[in-house]
Amino acid sequence: MEWLIFGFLSLWLLVSVFGTLFLKNPVHVILAFLSVILAIAGIFLHLGAELLAGLQLIIYAVAIIVFYVLVITTIPWEKVKKFEGIYKREALMAVPFLLISFLPIAYMVLKGKFAVSQKVITEGNIQSVGKALFTNYLFPFEVASVILLTAMIGAILLGRKEE
Amino acid sequence: MKIEVAYILISIFLFLSGLFGVIIRKNLITLLVSTELMLNGVNLGLVSMDKMVGGVEGQVFALFMLTVAAAEVAVGLGLVVAIFRLRGYEGSSEITQLRD
Repeated sequence: MEWLIFGFLSLWLLVSVFGTLFLKNPVHVILAFLSVILAIAGIFLHLGAELLAGLQLIIYAVAIIVFYVLVITTIPWEKVKKFEGIYKREALMAVPFLLISFLPIAYMVLKGKFAVSQKVITEGNIQSVGKALFTNYLFPFEVASVILLTAMIGAILLGRKEE
Repeated sequence: MKIEVAYILISIFLFLSGLFGVIIRKNLITLLVSTELMLNGVNLGLVSMDKMVGGVEGQVFALFMLTVAAAEVAVGLGLVVAIFRLRGYEGSSEITQLRD
């Protein structure tokens, strides 16, 4: 049963990844990326990370996708259409390189030994992640808010029209 | 083979296909979408590693990575809009200068 769910989710993910890579129209690419995000949220649920699955849906599927679509509507469509598709020569160059870099990593993952599970989590996922986030990782959590503020100021500064 | 190992393989594939998209894509917006694919691949690897080891730290890091992804998409799309406003700088092969 577990492998059935794995097969379904990973097949869905691979099909939508290929759609993201090779579709021509940018709107279709963004729709395929939305499909990727939904598949990854399903995988997170399968791996028992409910909090991240919800956050993936809220942040990626709502905020980031809507932002991409908004930017596509602001840019003139002819400029977007002028450069679509892929570079063929670079694709031919990149395939063997990425295959060669995939195979040793896959070999190491398959043959290597991983650390065994030591502690058993008894409480729920959201509870334990929240506890870790607000005790051990409180300072990075606060720094993350500063990063978001800086990104917001930078985006306003970059997107401003020059008079 | 445990199921987490299979998910780690999937995450490596996702990261490398994001890199492939960054190399081959012509349009700037689709290029940014490919970087999002890379970020998602790293997230998937962290969460599956977490399931294997039995901790929650990977999920905390994945949460921070979501924050970084939001910041990156805000700044990156702002840059894309600013580039599209210039004349003659629309494709990823035409941007060869950092300033006028």
